[in-house]
Amino acid sequence: MSHIFHISKNKQHIIMRSHIVRLIREFFWDQNFLEVETPHILKTAGQEPNIQAMHITIHNEHHEPFYGYLHTYPEYAMKKLLAAGFGNNIFSICKSFRDHESFGGTHNPEFTMIEWYRLDHDFFALMDDMERMFQYIAQGLKIKNFDVPSSLEKLWKRTHMRDLWREYVGIELDNYLDVSSMYELCVEKGFRPNKEESYEELFYRIFLDAIEPNLGVDEPQIIYYYPALMASLSKRSTKEPGYAERFESYIDGVEIANGFTELTDAQEQLERLKEDKNERARLGLDDYEIDKDFVEAVEHLPACTGNSMGIDRIVQAFAGCKNINDVLALPASEIFQS
Amino acid sequence: MGDTTDIRKGAVIRHNNELYVVTSCQFVNPGKGQAFTKTKLKNISSGKGTEMTYKSGENVDVVEVQRQNIQFLYKNGEFFSFMNTDSYETLDVSSDIIGDDTKYLKEGIMVIASLYEGNVVAIQLPKKIVYKVITAPPAVKGDTAGGNVTKEVELDNGLKIHVPIFIKEGEEILVNTETGEYGGRSAE
Repeated sequence: MSHIFHISKNKQHIIMRSHIVRLIREFFWDQNFLEVETPHILKTAGQEPNIQAMHITIHNEHHEPFYGYLHTYPEYAMKKLLAAGFGNNIFSICKSFRDHESFGGTHNPEFTMIEWYRLDHDFFALMDDMERMFQYIAQGLKIKNFDVPSSLEKLWKRTHMRDLWREYVGIELDNYLDVSSMYELCVEKGFRPNKEESYEELFYRIFLDAIEPNLGVDEPQIIYYYPALMASLSKRSTKEPGYAERFESYIDGVEIANGFTELTDAQEQLERLKEDKNERARLGLDDYEIDKDFVEAVEHLPACTGNSMGIDRIVQAFAGCKNINDVLALPASEIFQS
Repeated sequence: MGDTTDIRKGAVIRHNNELYVVTSCQFVNPGKGQAFTKTKLKNISSGKGTEMTYKSGENVDVVEVQRQNIQFLYKNGEFFSFMNTDSYETLDVSSDIIGDDTKYLKEGIMVIASLYEGNVVAIQLPKKIVYKVITAPPAVKGDTAGGNVTKEVELDNGLKIHVPIFIKEGEEILVNTETGEYGGRSAE
């Protein structure tokens, strides 16, 4: 019996968490964002090959079974809302669920996410949002007498992906934006990749080893412009050919946000979903049906930019907690492993 | 041969023809990027530490080790003496191999040793160990109101940990050896 002890020990973090959620809501409400809710139970899950959804079976009143998944992020549903058109920026604060991840450390199978979309802007606007939101949280926490790390009140360091590869790998990333050149680079750097590895897998072999440990160490850091082959749901850049308008941000070496200028080309979206579906099959993962309504949403999506952040990790940053368990009332490890 | 799901503390890995024992590991999944496992490794022959990041699903040469129950007897200078409970043979294990876990050892507890070519290369503690509280400051009225929901106590092997304020001297409590935290009152 250690549940109440776990909660008691982390009481200050749980109180801080409550204030942070309130401050995030206030930050978006004050700018006339519309808060929306999306379903947690879906018929099909997001196609990303690196995210595994939890299976669920539900029944109607005739006891007929329906098979689905708990959502892994609210993005598809939020884009359906945007496509329907409210003329508003929107945000959602929700639980998200991911299977096959660690119980504690940087992950918990269920976690809280803030996701927001800003109309008629590109991904640089999201970086401003993120900085201003952290400043707003910092001020709000100080009013409630919490100590706040000074690094979270400042502007974040912004680095182009190309500059990171120059600094830590000593190469021009522009020359390594396709699979064959990145494969050769991996071999040159002493890795032994398989011939069928995707660009992303090859990229991360070097990135995780030589670059990632240096990110966001003394101050929060934003890495922007990802190679176009790692665009995910983002738009290819017209200003930076070969790159996509995608960014990630890091605090203390932990990834805390992932933002895009959103792709609005339905045909390209469908192609990417098919590629992801094939990649899932190659990796022997569960086969998820393509969400055609989502493709339709992309067709009608207004120009917008969207970002998601883990609220648990935001609380960790402000509370100085290395382990996500210390900001959760009852983490999975307490529920299943204590 | 295994993959990244086989990486856990105490596993032995062959990398560039050298053997390493995993001293800590952390799984990280950025979601829209490749998942990976960060490890801290110790070279079995040189004792030198190193860090390695494996991407999820990557092949990892996990070496088969012999697993043996051994019982902790006593500290013997720089070494910790254990007994193989099958052969009654005494095994001296250096504090380097046990690392931070030495603080959890107490006479008589059973641990699992990983043996490679007859040498102990790692030990695995039970997930929870029972200790007796030997000194505990009394709970003072008003502590909870002031936010003092825990207090520090000393256990029968000298370990100090934070426990709920209602724990008294002489009680038996569980400590979670993975987190180093109080794991409830002992049911024994």
